[in-house]
Amino acid sequence: MQFFTKKRLFILLIGIIFVVTLIGFSLSDRDNQTTAEQFVSDMVGWAQTAVHIPVNGVTSFFSNLDDLKNTYSENRLLKEKLAQYKNLIYEVQELRKENEELRKTLDKTNSLRDFNPIQATVVARSPERWVEQVTINKGTMDGVEDNMAVITADGMIGKIQSASSFTSTVQLLTGIDQFNRISATIAREEGNDVFGLIESYDRKTHSLLFKIIDESDKEIEEGEMVVSSGLGGIFPAGLPIGKVKEIAPDQYGLTNIALVEPAANMYDIDNVIVVERVMNGDAEMENNSEEEERE
Amino acid sequence: MKRLYLPFFLFLFMILEGVAIDVLPTTLATGHTFIVPHWVLVFLVLISMFYDRENTYFSVIYGILFGLLVDVAYTGILGVYMFSYGIGIYVVRALRNVFHANFYVALMQGTLAILIADVMINIIFHIIGMADIALENYMIYRLLPTVLANLVFLMVLYPVMAKRLLKWGSQHSIDGSGLAGR
Repeated sequence: MQFFTKKRLFILLIGIIFVVTLIGFSLSDRDNQTTAEQFVSDMVGWAQTAVHIPVNGVTSFFSNLDDLKNTYSENRLLKEKLAQYKNLIYEVQELRKENEELRKTLDKTNSLRDFNPIQATVVARSPERWVEQVTINKGTMDGVEDNMAVITADGMIGKIQSASSFTSTVQLLTGIDQFNRISATIAREEGNDVFGLIESYDRKTHSLLFKIIDESDKEIEEGEMVVSSGLGGIFPAGLPIGKVKEIAPDQYGLTNIALVEPAANMYDIDNVIVVERVMNGDAEMENNSEEEERE
Repeated sequence: MKRLYLPFFLFLFMILEGVAIDVLPTTLATGHTFIVPHWVLVFLVLISMFYDRENTYFSVIYGILFGLLVDVAYTGILGVYMFSYGIGIYVVRALRNVFHANFYVALMQGTLAILIADVMINIIFHIIGMADIALENYMIYRLLPTVLANLVFLMVLYPVMAKRLLKWGSQHSIDGSGLAGR
């Protein structure tokens, strides 16, 4: 065989060892990307932004044409809804005011629900389909940090996987794995909330698997809203994740697993909001220790 | 200046791969079929056929380099594309001396390179545990559509690029400068 002379075989073996080391290095639980990686992602990110603008212009032109067709019926529907929303806005304003006053009386200013939004645009999506990842045009210079939640107007789509100076990559909920669970809850009026973890994504049913950790005898109904609970320490509370589609026992029959249909469309993302939680897990700890010292 | 053409085009195709899924209709993305653009690889096949001389290995070097760039930019797992593109292009580069350079050979070489690279990428992702799909499903839903879609790209690229690559390559060898092979 001409292919496998001794020298070539040797180079191939060295190559395999090198690649295995590289893969092992990138899979290891590292906090940050190396400087070289960050530099490359920034360079690629800039080029992607430059390409994205004209491409997006063309595609949005065609989708605008599509939209024009059903403008009339949509407009009527929206007007009806707007009238309903006006009432809702007054209600929300009053509730907010009341909430603030109540918080003041309690001396508790921060809430798990507060967050600072960072607006961003999706400039590229990974062509490798096993890796569910998109690139956005904001980085650490704009305040984006690793592990922040990323949402659209409809709901949560993922979290920041790695942030370089001017761009960052977002791991989508469809690519979630056992290392990235999300603490979630089904909120109810009566107060018997259901807590659990979003554990993985099932490609066959196109749904997230919501493993319910506390009492499984609480009846869960289809169509109930699953939101982030804020107890994981990184995401704020109350970000909508999806709707319960189906409930099934897990493989051991001890707990229930709810199939959750994501609220946001993961394949048609353009503008996103990176969510910076106001009440930081660490900051909270520091505050507590300060208070203890004062005491 | 002419020497910068190849890296420029390779970089451009790499960037366009990232935008490709946004441009295609969403039904393609949400459906069962997985189409993965390997445009960098397709261009590298043409480079190996028309730009490379008997003793140069530009295509293999660029394959490893841009494979690594794809890894950094799109997957975050270094080495997967680098290794797969490297091996795929090396085989094509070795077969280059056996065949004449024409359109049908380009199609065959392209198919071979995409087959090798995509199968290797999936084997590696399977070992890591990121790809969980049965072999026959992989063949039907990912390998076949991917090869076909990239061959379409090759058919579009061939008439535009083949002559140019040949020209740039011959100018390069007349200069007598550049990275001569091993």
